[in-house]
Amino acid sequence: MPSPPAASRSAGAAAAVARRILHPSSLLPPGTTSLKPCLRAATTTTTHAHTTTPRHHLPASLPIPTRTSSRPYHSYSHPPPPGPFTPTESLLLAAAYRHVPTHGFSASALALGARDAGYLDISPTIVPDGVFSLVQWHLVTQREALAARSVALFGDGQKGPNVVASRVEALAWERLLGNAEVVWQWQEALAIMAQPSYVPASVKELAMLADEIWFLAGDVAVDPTWYTKRASLSAIYAAAELFMTNDRSLGFRDTQEFLRRRLQEASEMGNVARSVREWLSFTASAGINVLRSKGVQI
Amino acid sequence: MATPHAILRAANPTTPAARLVPRHVSILLPCSRRHLSSTSRAAATPAPPNGGTSADNGTTTTPPKPKNLKPLTPSQIDFLSSALRVNQAGELAATLIYTAQTPPVVRREPHLRPLMAHMYEQEAAHLSTFNALLARHRVRPTALYPLWSVLAAGLGWSTAVLGREAAMACTEAVETEIGGHYNGQIRQLLEMVAGWEAEGYDVGDEFRELIRTLRRIRDEELEHLDHAVEHDAQKAEPHWLLTGAIRAGCRGAIWVSEKV
Repeated sequence: MPSPPAASRSAGAAAAVARRILHPSSLLPPGTTSLKPCLRAATTTTTHAHTTTPRHHLPASLPIPTRTSSRPYHSYSHPPPPGPFTPTESLLLAAAYRHVPTHGFSASALALGARDAGYLDISPTIVPDGVFSLVQWHLVTQREALAARSVALFGDGQKGPNVVASRVEALAWERLLGNAEVVWQWQEALAIMAQPSYVPASVKELAMLADEIWFLAGDVAVDPTWYTKRASLSAIYAAAELFMTNDRSLGFRDTQEFLRRRLQEASEMGNVARSVREWLSFTASAGINVLRSKGVQI
Repeated sequence: MATPHAILRAANPTTPAARLVPRHVSILLPCSRRHLSSTSRAAATPAPPNGGTSADNGTTTTPPKPKNLKPLTPSQIDFLSSALRVNQAGELAATLIYTAQTPPVVRREPHLRPLMAHMYEQEAAHLSTFNALLARHRVRPTALYPLWSVLAAGLGWSTAVLGREAAMACTEAVETEIGGHYNGQIRQLLEMVAGWEAEGYDVGDEFRELIRTLRRIRDEELEHLDHAVEHDAQKAEPHWLLTGAIRAGCRGAIWVSEKV
């Protein structure tokens, strides 16, 4: 495995933190001078975090998340409500995220990110869920990046019976590729997400990803298939993501084939279920009409 | 307070048979009014050419001022999503009630076929309106969709088998509840709009359009209520029992669909 062992990494991080705390200069304000503009930004702007948060410390690779974790109604004209992360957390997590490919979803990545952003190494304690917030940052930024990528992929606006299904596969594959840089750390991230206190938030993120993919693929059905489609896509995506953590093929070819096979099976099962339902409804209405034609008053 | 159907009946004392002629064509969907526009196509201003960066275009037309819209609060968002969800469930139930009621009622009284067809078409249009709204605003449909489908079809069929008066009483009960329900939603939306205007914010077209749509649909539902009462809904035998039970069921279904 190319990633360094977790034990030595966390021991190194703990030593680094201890050194910082005990050194008197760590108590001085080099961190506070860069905290001030951020706190000012935090108090004055709650709704437009992505435009006014000071970004002097990091090159923006992905936009700061602006939508909250549960959004039952999406408005096209009203500004989006504040995202799941405060501006301070966003700065810190964005800086820490750049260290994830080398240090994993760990306290050392958070500490290095805090240092990059100009904070004290102890600053990650302001992030409420610790390393899970870093995992959540990855999930949220990758999900919100799908909208821009879908515009790039589907700009031609083709129509057809299987367009939605092919777009779902394309979007799911795009999202899986978003894991490519952190795939070696992803099993650790899954273990973090599986902790009982974080399971609800993780499952919610998976559900929101499935909803985002179906919406961007152009699905407009609002009958019970709304639920079955999202449930099946969540299961398929989670399985493909897990498969990808052990995939050594070039360009994650095997994962792409795995995804294609699972989506094919799901659509076949959907066809079978729809055919059975249609047959039952036709038979029932034909039976009722036969009885009516015989004079039965129904 | 005089009921809507009484006011309308007092204003238009025509015979029931004449009412079957589509007098209500004039209050059908607004898209029919577009064909009556007096502006000729040639007189309408053509769209500016693509990539028109020439100076003569820029100075005459100013770009529309960006609207200052307040972000929606979580309670407003919850209200909007549950309102749209309940409305879709209600229109689904209405279409299924009419589908199930039509064969038994029309078998006994064939002259009611145009009325039943007209009411069904309006409900189907409402359902597709709400389906489009739910898909556009990413609101989830009610999880009890199959249950409401079965119950609505069962209600429609059983009241139709009891007789035309019972079928009309069912329509009367459902439309009374639905009319009150839409009124409450419109009132709440208007309160939201008044609150924004009082705070100095603009109101987006999204909300004005939503209020306009809900008003139109409420008016069409009250029109159905009017038809039902004209066709002897009040003469159904245990009228108090039928309408009481159906209205209570509607209120319960609305309450559940808002949550689930």
